[in-house]
Amino acid sequence: MIYRHQRTLGAVAALVLGLAPALAAPADPPAGGVADAEVKLPPPPTAWYAAKPVGTSVGPVTAAQLAKGADRTNWLAYGGDYRNFRHSPVSGITPATIKGLHVAWSAPTGTMGQFETSPVVYGGVMYITSSYNRLMALDARTGEFLWRYDVQLPGDLRLCCGPANRGVAIGGDLVFMATLDGHLIAFDRTTGNVAWNVVVANYKDGYSITAAPLIVGDLVYTGVAGGEFGAPGFIDAYDLKTGKRVWRINTVPSAGQPGVETWAGDSWKSGGAPSWTTGAYDQDTNTLFWTIGNPSPDWNGDSRAGDNLYSNSVLALDPATGKMKWHFQFTPHDVWDYDGNTQIFLVDTQFNGKPVKAIAQANRNGYFYLLDRSNGKFLLASQYVEQLTWAKGVDAKGRPVVDPAAMPQENPTARVCPSNLGGMNGAWTGAYDPATSLIYAPSIESCQEFVKGLAVHVKGIPFMGGMPNTTDANAGKSYGLLSAIDVKTGKVKWRYRDARPMMAGVAATAGGVLFTSNQLGEALAFDQATGKKLWSFRMGGGGRGQPIVYEIDGKPYVAIPSGGGTGLDGFAGAGSNLPEGGHLFVFALN
Amino acid sequence: MCKSLGRIGTVMTVIVLATASVATGHAAPAATATAAAMPAQTPADIARGKALFTGTCGAYCHRPSTPASAAAASDAPSLFDCDWIHGGSDAQIFHTITHGVDGTRMVAFGGAIPDEDIWRIIAYLRSASQCKVSR
Repeated sequence: MIYRHQRTLGAVAALVLGLAPALAAPADPPAGGVADAEVKLPPPPTAWYAAKPVGTSVGPVTAAQLAKGADRTNWLAYGGDYRNFRHSPVSGITPATIKGLHVAWSAPTGTMGQFETSPVVYGGVMYITSSYNRLMALDARTGEFLWRYDVQLPGDLRLCCGPANRGVAIGGDLVFMATLDGHLIAFDRTTGNVAWNVVVANYKDGYSITAAPLIVGDLVYTGVAGGEFGAPGFIDAYDLKTGKRVWRINTVPSAGQPGVETWAGDSWKSGGAPSWTTGAYDQDTNTLFWTIGNPSPDWNGDSRAGDNLYSNSVLALDPATGKMKWHFQFTPHDVWDYDGNTQIFLVDTQFNGKPVKAIAQANRNGYFYLLDRSNGKFLLASQYVEQLTWAKGVDAKGRPVVDPAAMPQENPTARVCPSNLGGMNGAWTGAYDPATSLIYAPSIESCQEFVKGLAVHVKGIPFMGGMPNTTDANAGKSYGLLSAIDVKTGKVKWRYRDARPMMAGVAATAGGVLFTSNQLGEALAFDQATGKKLWSFRMGGGGRGQPIVYEIDGKPYVAIPSGGGTGLDGFAGAGSNLPEGGHLFVFALN
Repeated sequence: MCKSLGRIGTVMTVIVLATASVATGHAAPAATATAAAMPAQTPADIARGKALFTGTCGAYCHRPSTPASAAAASDAPSLFDCDWIHGGSDAQIFHTITHGVDGTRMVAFGGAIPDEDIWRIIAYLRSASQCKVSR
């Protein structure tokens, strides 16, 4: 039994129905017809709350549970845990047993656009988000819909890259979803009722939010997208219980602040540097890490001479105050759209034979980085993609040596790699397996020519300064890789090559099996140690989501989203004839 | 020249925009006092118009003149096919750029782009037009 909430404004159907009388305005019902009053339909519902609370076999999600991260029965955060390992302790799925994996249930989202969610599972309830911000709670064993909330979005959203959402955060008895129109909303995890709803940013200024929030202690953190609109980025912390904003830090310094000298003139005012992915948290040093995207305008840096801090950087922050401890910039003065915000992994590993608490990242610019996370010191960079031409290497301090021939031109002829989307990209995840010390990074191989133009900044409109010619995509030369990178050395241990760019996330398991999906509509599984392809299942829709793994009553389950299809895919050379529409597939082991 | 990514192109967006356009009954304007006639344009002016189009209008909204980018496939109209939805005279195009189009993502660029640069953009559009029949 579900209670329904009906919309008051904004629904497409209601708009059409509401406009019809104004367009036709008949004075009398047609002869033999039906009077308006008799055909008036109630507005369709927008929320279906659980009549009886669900997920009550467990109590509120505690700080200790969040600190532990994914256990066998729960997957509590976008990154799996605070270190972003996306590694499940479920061990029942192995190279020997995977042949018993079969579809247990599936669930539609009913929305178009890429389905990028990373489900969260707690107390036998799965929480997923769809494109256009539908939040749905399902029985993790059967797929039964328990409650659902459809955010009513305006029709004039400012989206660079499709109507994506990558999932919720959970803490206490609340689940949190950020929205394409710049809100952060808290829901009762047991009923779907809204606890609070705050405006993070004005979407009409070019902002949107697509990432899952992050919770540490009593605070919930979110960033914003807007780097294609010149909207200056920031990171916010909100009180988990009340929604009151506790702090905000800007990702572009203002006049008089350290770092503003890295922006020529007033260019910092429209500098972008969005914070559009989910951060990480280091419990040992009580440090919040957040990664930052491209400076604006994307492809013409003439007006913003300088390094453009803190674009394309990782920031180490005090989680209580937002005060910056240190930063490291991967791609200074970016003119290729190489956002520095692919997933970071907080790994304790060895470097030059010595133990180090590190940050590892397969960056969108094609290099794999290892940093000392206690101080931001650069340790290592190595190429993990097959094609990289924009730089000739990385110097001893971690600064790339840019090839001048790769700079955007009015009439470019240089084929530049990686593409503006990477490499890897913050829109999908990797995973880390401590047993093998391997990071698994799906990526695009698709080179482009970068065209430079003149950008005029008007709040709320794209501020790009050019465009990429999709050279390889046009020639049918784009393909994808899944690379297993040894964090100790930066060397690629194995690679799987797919016919299309690989643009979906990854989950690793204690059973030694890795899950992802591809642009051919297949769910895929690999041997984590060797890269041997073990299993596939044709889901149908292009893979753009983040898989997770969990267990109920000792039975392993794997959830994999299906459904791609936006203009973004064309940039990567991944456009296809697969129909749109999100669908979650959940597999169980016999 | 749009407020958001036209290439998202969802049913929802298309319906909302379509109804808004019908509701506002936008019609091609007559020439305005500020847009009487296009000044003479040099090759350098046209080159600047192209750069402005590339950097401001063409990345995620309007398609480029040649299909070099597979991704610039938005639902914003092509400006090179001579099919002018809101009027195809120089003055009408000038008006559309400066005032925007109600109910769509085409915002008003008047004041943000100097008039002389708007004329340069129009001159570039004319120079690169791909009319199927002579105008």
